Amino acid sequence: MNVEKDKLLIDVGSTYFKVSTADSIEQHARDFNKKILDDLTQRCGKTIDRFAKEDVYICSSANGGLSTLIIGITQSFSLKYATNIAFNSGINIIDTVLYQNIEEYSIPSDLIDVVIVVGGIDSCGDIFGDDLYNYLAKLNYSNIVFVGSEQDAPMIQQNIDNVVILPNIIDSKLHIVEEDLKDYLTNLYQQDIEGKEDIKHLYDITANQIYSTPYIVNKTLPLIDGSFSVANPFILLDVGGATTDVHYSKDLVDDNIVTENEYDRLVFKKLGVYKSRPSLVFAAKNNEFVYELLMHLKVTENIFEEHSEKATKILMQVAIFLVLCKISYYRKAYINLKLLAINSIVLTGGITKVLSNEEVEDIVAFFYKKILTSEHKPTVVMDGNYDIWTLGAKGQE
Amino acid sequence: MLGNNAIMKVVTGVVGNDIHVVANRLIDLSLRARGFEVFNLGVNTYLEEFFDAVVETGAEVLLISSLNGEAEGWAREVKTLKAKYKHLDNLILMIGGNLVVGTGKAEDIVPRFKNYGFDLVCHQVDLNTGLDMLEDFIEERNSQ
Amino acid sequence: MSLLQEERDIIVSNEYVDSFDFAEVKEFVKNASKDLFISHHFKNADKMLVQPRGGFPTYKKQFALNEFFVNANVDVLPLTIDSNTRLNDYSTASRMLRLSEENDVDMLNGYPLVNHGYRTTRKMITHFNKPVSLRHGTPDARLLIETAIASGIFDIEGGPITYLLPYSKNFPLDKAFLYWKYVERVCANYSELNEPINRESFGPLTATLVPPAITIVIQLLEMLLSLEEGVKSFSVSFSQTGSMNQDIVTGAVIKKLAKFYAEEIGCGDAAIHLVYHQWMGAFPMDKDFAEQLINMSTVIASMVGADKIITKTREEASGIPTKEANAKTVANTQYTLRILNGLPTIVDEEEEDILTLEVKAIMEAVFNDPADTLWRKVFNSIKNGIIDVPFSPHIINHNEMITIRDANKNIRIIERGNVPIPDRCFEYEKSKCDLTKDTTSIVNDIIHDIGIMM
Repeated sequence: MNVEKDKLLIDVGSTYFKVSTADSIEQHARDFNKKILDDLTQRCGKTIDRFAKEDVYICSSANGGLSTLIIGITQSFSLKYATNIAFNSGINIIDTVLYQNIEEYSIPSDLIDVVIVVGGIDSCGDIFGDDLYNYLAKLNYSNIVFVGSEQDAPMIQQNIDNVVILPNIIDSKLHIVEEDLKDYLTNLYQQDIEGKEDIKHLYDITANQIYSTPYIVNKTLPLIDGSFSVANPFILLDVGGATTDVHYSKDLVDDNIVTENEYDRLVFKKLGVYKSRPSLVFAAKNNEFVYELLMHLKVTENIFEEHSEKATKILMQVAIFLVLCKISYYRKAYINLKLLAINSIVLTGGITKVLSNEEVEDIVAFFYKKILTSEHKPTVVMDGNYDIWTLGAKGQE
Repeated sequence: MLGNNAIMKVVTGVVGNDIHVVANRLIDLSLRARGFEVFNLGVNTYLEEFFDAVVETGAEVLLISSLNGEAEGWAREVKTLKAKYKHLDNLILMIGGNLVVGTGKAEDIVPRFKNYGFDLVCHQVDLNTGLDMLEDFIEERNSQ
Repeated sequence: MSLLQEERDIIVSNEYVDSFDFAEVKEFVKNASKDLFISHHFKNADKMLVQPRGGFPTYKKQFALNEFFVNANVDVLPLTIDSNTRLNDYSTASRMLRLSEENDVDMLNGYPLVNHGYRTTRKMITHFNKPVSLRHGTPDARLLIETAIASGIFDIEGGPITYLLPYSKNFPLDKAFLYWKYVERVCANYSELNEPINRESFGPLTATLVPPAITIVIQLLEMLLSLEEGVKSFSVSFSQTGSMNQDIVTGAVIKKLAKFYAEEIGCGDAAIHLVYHQWMGAFPMDKDFAEQLINMSTVIASMVGADKIITKTREEASGIPTKEANAKTVANTQYTLRILNGLPTIVDEEEEDILTLEVKAIMEAVFNDPADTLWRKVFNSIKNGIIDVPFSPHIINHNEMITIRDANKNIRIIERGNVPIPDRCFEYEKSKCDLTKDTTSIVNDIIHDIGIMM
């Protein structure tokens, strides 16, 4: 009975773009010799023409997302909280600097989209000084935001040009306060899109705001069991061309963070099967279990040098294995997830077009046996029709 | 450095797998009653979190309590860990509770824990006596 | 297939579960003896039901414990679950169960129900043909409750708030609400087949100076979260406060308001019961004193008009009680109940009014939260400190409320934090206490107030 107005949903990734209407979904590999809008209109022009600008919704991860450098004063509070907020705001590349050792860090050569300076509760002051200003003077960045102690804010304002001052993300009980920084970073993403020639033109075909894809996905997760046979706690893996996104139920970590979202996100920046292929292969060759994994898959290391359909398949399987290793207790990382507790693993993105359910289950079972010595068998769910993204994109109005 | 009227900040909590919530809350209340500003990290707190909380709050005192007798296990790491922080030289480090499993003499235990880096060690000392010791210690330091 | 059923299929396809047959379980519940349903006993009993606590790791020991209880004339059998299972760590539970079986030493502090499985456990439950109450403390109890009901356990204790705030430091509360929603739905579905499955909230919370207003609010909210999913039989509960008058007032207000709020959401047809916990705080080491305390609790439970009493043992201060001590309490409690006749009715209208106002003010603040679902309103209210549980270890808890005992040992609120206790009530509470003392003496009083039964 519910007559829903037909909408056009477009997701522009680093390797593919997807175009979805109420009754069809098409996917195309991007032609990097063309501008995104031209590429898109050439292949799906007819579909796009059918829709008014108001009914077109676009999300994108094609600009690689924003890169961030966080300068904080402790690992357990300022750096951890800011990292959590940045990931959940859709930021992809995060590096951290512990302020007391700031002189020991090398200066990154790449342009950083946004620097976040954080530390201290409001009743604690006199935290930042010349060390910070000297470091920033050498750093190449586009934006800078201060979310630390309000006592230091005036000094920071005086000494750093164009700094944005926002309320402290740490309250007087040492708890996290997310909203302001999250809004700021999400809006920055907007401006970034508007500033990037290529993507900016997408606004020619939509009257709606363009969001980052991971932001959309994260918003959808609480609704996901309406479309899939999925049981909490679960993880969602989006193995992309350049990066791999992991979204996870909050109860899979023992973090002392109280937030409103049920799922947190993190990104492995050099783990992807196209753009990041060299670093993926490098990581694989350095993992002591990958040799056994390749045996199990009945191939040799030579497969990494091949460029065939089969090689892509194997690479994707290796990517799943490496991601699981990185988030398990086997490797100490930003977080470790209680993988023995998960009931489902959801996969989305291009990988679902290449691997079958059985092939993924096989890798997952291998991981549990080898790394966690367990017979645990979470259900594997493939989001082959981009339902998660469609669901989230539809919700953006 | 501190005026006598300045409010002193204390970070407190219970280390490791120790679920003595009541004792932890009572220490919190007692410290507040004596005029301290308290940052209570609660039970099951890791050593790093304690020191990190000191840095974020600018606390002058860190009071760790341990009631299950397992303090010996982790207390040895305190010195090394504290040394990694660059601005904690003036921090008053205090530990209290049941510090060892079984029976042990305070005259053996106190020097041992002082050697681990604690300024004040209260083994099976009642709460008010322990906090009196802390206040005396602060007064003495301020008069120097 | 319904979405809930799809989720259930995933939950029971755990490597520690030996094939779960939903169709068979449904048939079993449908045809199960009415005697297994506590809801049936509540309907027909003319006395307070007596239920002890207890759980042993092996089937053999649990069976022996139940035999002792039955010989002591127990009304409701307990099944307490071990702490590994409570944390969903079935792998450790399995290892420890094996060690307990091989060495005759108890390596677990309760019965690992998931590892035993429903086929085995059902044999024990149907053998004794008494209602069994599941006691655990699990934030994610989905698999545990599936196994319990399949075993014939039709009285399920717990809830997202009462099983989280007293026990956990950082399990996400919003996740606990969703996991318990599953439990409520499963209980509601099974309730349509035979007598209703009874859900029971855990009123004692931290059992440390929790004021009745907070206890009642949390009881009512867990009741509403359960009823709105279709549960038809619910027990609210609280534990002995330390003042007989306060217990009687608490009992009267919780009964009145449970009915009121159930009707407010259109669930007036559900049966609501009252459960009383004997003293849950620190017990005296002296076992004879402990017995006196237990006996007094039974008298108060009768004055309160509870439908069920949950007992302690004379060995409470010294760890897990023996089955002998446990059965002795059951026999003693039944004896006290039998000889306790002609009780007077006590009504303290002023105290009832104050408590009713407090509870209604907090409930109103919860309902006024802008969230779209009740569970998220409750989540936000706990996060904002509108609900504040003294002595909770959980990071979401505000810990700003301070309580103390007055001269009659009533628990009084002297700092309300963000809890919207109306001014008139707050002044009343404070007027009962001597607050002229210096703050250190007040803290010393609190220490004394916690240990009043020692």
